[in-house]
Amino acid sequence: MNFKTIIEPFRIKSVEPFSMSTVEQREQFLVNAHYNPFLLKSDQVIIDFLTDSGTSAMSSNQWAAMMKGDESYAGARSWDLFEKAVHDLTGMPYILPTHQGRAAERILYSHLGKKGKCFISNTHFDTTRANIEYSGAAAIDIPVAEALDYASDYPFKGNLDTVKLEHHIKEWGAENIGAVILTVTNNSGGGQPVSMQNARAVSKICKQYNVLFVLDCCRIAENSYFIHAKEKGFSEQSFRSIAQEMFSLADACIMSAKKDALVNMGGFLALRNKELADACTQMLIITEGFATYGGLSGRDMEAIAVGLVEVFEPDYLKYRIRSTQYLGENILKKGVPIIYPVGGHAVYVDAKKLYPHIPVEQYPGQALVCELYRIGGVRTVEIGSVMFGKYDEAGKLIPAPMELVRLAIPRRVYTQSHIDYVVEVFDEIIATKNKVKGLRITKEPQFLRHFTSFFEPAELSFQVV
Amino acid sequence: MNTISKRSWAEPYKIKMVELLKMTTREEREKAIEKAGFNTFLLHAKDVYIDLLTDSGTSAMSDKQWSGMMTGDESYAGSENFYHLESVIRKVYGYRHIVPTHQGRGAENIISKIMIKPGDIIPGNMYFTTTRLHQELAGGTFVDIIIDEAHDSLNEHPFKGNVDLNKLENVIKKYGAKKIPYISVATSVNMAGGQPISLENLRGLRKLTDKYQIKIIHDMTRVAENAYFIQLREKGYAKESIAAIVKEICSLTDGATMSAKKDALVNIGGFLALNDKSLYDEASNLVVVYEGLHTYGGLAGRDMEAMAIGIKESVNDNHIHARVGQVEYLGHKLIDAGVPIVKPIGGHGIFIDAKRFLPHIKQKNFPAQALAAEIYIDSGVRAMERGIVSAGRSKETGDHYYPELELVRLTIPRRVYTQAHMDVVAESVEAVYQKKKKIKGMRMLFEPKYLRFFQAKFNKI
Repeated sequence: MNFKTIIEPFRIKSVEPFSMSTVEQREQFLVNAHYNPFLLKSDQVIIDFLTDSGTSAMSSNQWAAMMKGDESYAGARSWDLFEKAVHDLTGMPYILPTHQGRAAERILYSHLGKKGKCFISNTHFDTTRANIEYSGAAAIDIPVAEALDYASDYPFKGNLDTVKLEHHIKEWGAENIGAVILTVTNNSGGGQPVSMQNARAVSKICKQYNVLFVLDCCRIAENSYFIHAKEKGFSEQSFRSIAQEMFSLADACIMSAKKDALVNMGGFLALRNKELADACTQMLIITEGFATYGGLSGRDMEAIAVGLVEVFEPDYLKYRIRSTQYLGENILKKGVPIIYPVGGHAVYVDAKKLYPHIPVEQYPGQALVCELYRIGGVRTVEIGSVMFGKYDEAGKLIPAPMELVRLAIPRRVYTQSHIDYVVEVFDEIIATKNKVKGLRITKEPQFLRHFTSFFEPAELSFQVV
Repeated sequence: MNTISKRSWAEPYKIKMVELLKMTTREEREKAIEKAGFNTFLLHAKDVYIDLLTDSGTSAMSDKQWSGMMTGDESYAGSENFYHLESVIRKVYGYRHIVPTHQGRGAENIISKIMIKPGDIIPGNMYFTTTRLHQELAGGTFVDIIIDEAHDSLNEHPFKGNVDLNKLENVIKKYGAKKIPYISVATSVNMAGGQPISLENLRGLRKLTDKYQIKIIHDMTRVAENAYFIQLREKGYAKESIAAIVKEICSLTDGATMSAKKDALVNIGGFLALNDKSLYDEASNLVVVYEGLHTYGGLAGRDMEAMAIGIKESVNDNHIHARVGQVEYLGHKLIDAGVPIVKPIGGHGIFIDAKRFLPHIKQKNFPAQALAAEIYIDSGVRAMERGIVSAGRSKETGDHYYPELELVRLTIPRRVYTQAHMDVVAESVEAVYQKKKKIKGMRMLFEPKYLRFFQAKFNKI
């Protein structure tokens, strides 16, 4: 179709009404949630762009499969289907189901990691980094230089810097590398894709030094779309075969099925090495569940098996990526600084640039998150110094390199009108941006502080009545 | 002792949806069990006719639970279903703070990590496989304080799940209260044969632990079934509702781990409940690392909703009467046929005494494992070993633990099978009992390091 309107390649079968709220009500909700929208109740939110993880609308075919869920504790039919679906896609022989992606990460990285070991990635995501550091190992990010250059329209900003990779492997010694983790698309770096050429180069280096190459593949279908569209030589290949080629380069993969498998719960770890698989299976049984369900109900395994096929449908992927780009391009036109090109699952706003008057110690990203909620009831997440900042020995903040706010778009949930509403909310954001004040943390946990920290305004930006 | 009246009763529900089963031939089953290394855990479910492997996660949900599934709120943070679940747990069980987990072992992992220090002692009324393993992985040592009667399959004590308070006090005196982070108390003690603990005993335990300021953590996965036996057997409770008894049990403890896959009638889910706010804060920090954010803990919104509804259904008197009544029905058929089983009959399954069933097979040759395989070959009924294989090895000596009880568990899923299915099971076990002398022991060919019963492989001697 050559029309400009983005048409969803589905119609709606079941709806979930939400209630509207006023600016005044939301100001009070923010106070109650300690200025951390993770702590809002979901019925206080109008448009929920907190995450694209586990928030997809399942298809009628997935719901039908749910009804066939075999809940036998061991050896369920639903497990056979799930195992086959994952094997057909990844080509890997050993498949471990987990209740979600972070459990697969914990199992693999706690086995491979300990003090003195190092993991190298294009960018570690929050839960990945937490799992690795919890084991005592170090986590090093080496995105390509273009990833940090906003002005660049380089098409594969998710790539890993292979020169640095080789340098780090030599410096640490190959035997001390826990794994090299290539996350596709690169979530923390702006949902930017990784090219096949880059994946091949990473694979080659890992083979040369005998280092384990892990693909974090939770958005591999979206990554395949970008390879198909932008990388030379792939325009005739199907999205699924592009993904399969990338899997063939890796030794193992971890998937949070809550993203590109279009489900609300689930994940897996797939491996080529039997010894590693056996060791991981022991830990799976202790903490997750028996080897043929791993903490998932039979029906959830059924839904994943169907979702892994649906996500590679060309019409779906085209709609998915175009819809995200539409949001990004329209707010960019209004002068909102975003990471460009727009990634696959989310639009990332550069809060440091939007609020140059707020110092990083007062978390400009968190301030924008609160403003988007206050003005429009739109829930988003900070990906900056709240999520990744650390303290030095004197207790001074070591800020993250970027102060971003992510507008993550759930799959198949919101319509074009919802997106247009969010674009309008940004008019108000732009109009009032000079008045917005920063925040300070009043309480924080030891791990993953962005989930449960409390904040208060550094100076109150609005009066609460 | 009161037992359930033999007068006929019927299920308090009718069937709304069915799942078709496949019948197999004896030859097909012989091949399937051999391929599975004579371990029923490794059978494919499609080769099983009546699946009595476990009552965990195998319940049939009600139409109300399914309609609750449709109202799942899959928001990553602050899902409505979480707040519903929280309010139901507060109302039905009375615990103040809850952290959802993807299943019971997720809660066990977290409670062990936040409360146990290396060198600690955790007394409990008999071990359970995953519970003890999490305690050991956190550096603790489990000490059994259940009454001696629990280890005797013939003893008909009405509350074989009771704690021996003298044993406990000796443990406290020996190690010191500071070394004991909490007492682990299960209702309906699984490894003893689904045996209940009495409220009188629990009150005595509370008094003793209060004296030494030790917490009680309640393994509450089958608390409603335990409450049923209190209503039936304990003086003064015949007129109390199951709901009231459940709440009284919980009120005597400080927190709980729950696998909702049993009593709460769901296919996936669990939670950790704590009355102490600072412990809860620690747990909600840790749950993010292992399970998921503290308002979903690794569960879809719809599964939290199904759990909330299931908890309410689980404390209904008619439901529990039919549930335990069905187990009794099977048990009495087997007793009448002379098959040796653990008595009194427990709440969630029939535990066949493999030592008395197969006296010619030494415990080191895995009689229960052999019997479970033989029952499968006879009829396609899948049972589970709960004896020497499940007990594992001592971390000090490296030798097998040799448990007193060498059992095969026929676990009845909730609301799934009919009385006719129970008749088939009873007839099959009887048939195997008739030719028991032909059954041979087993040799273990493959032994995993942890929880070996799940994946060990065997062959016939």
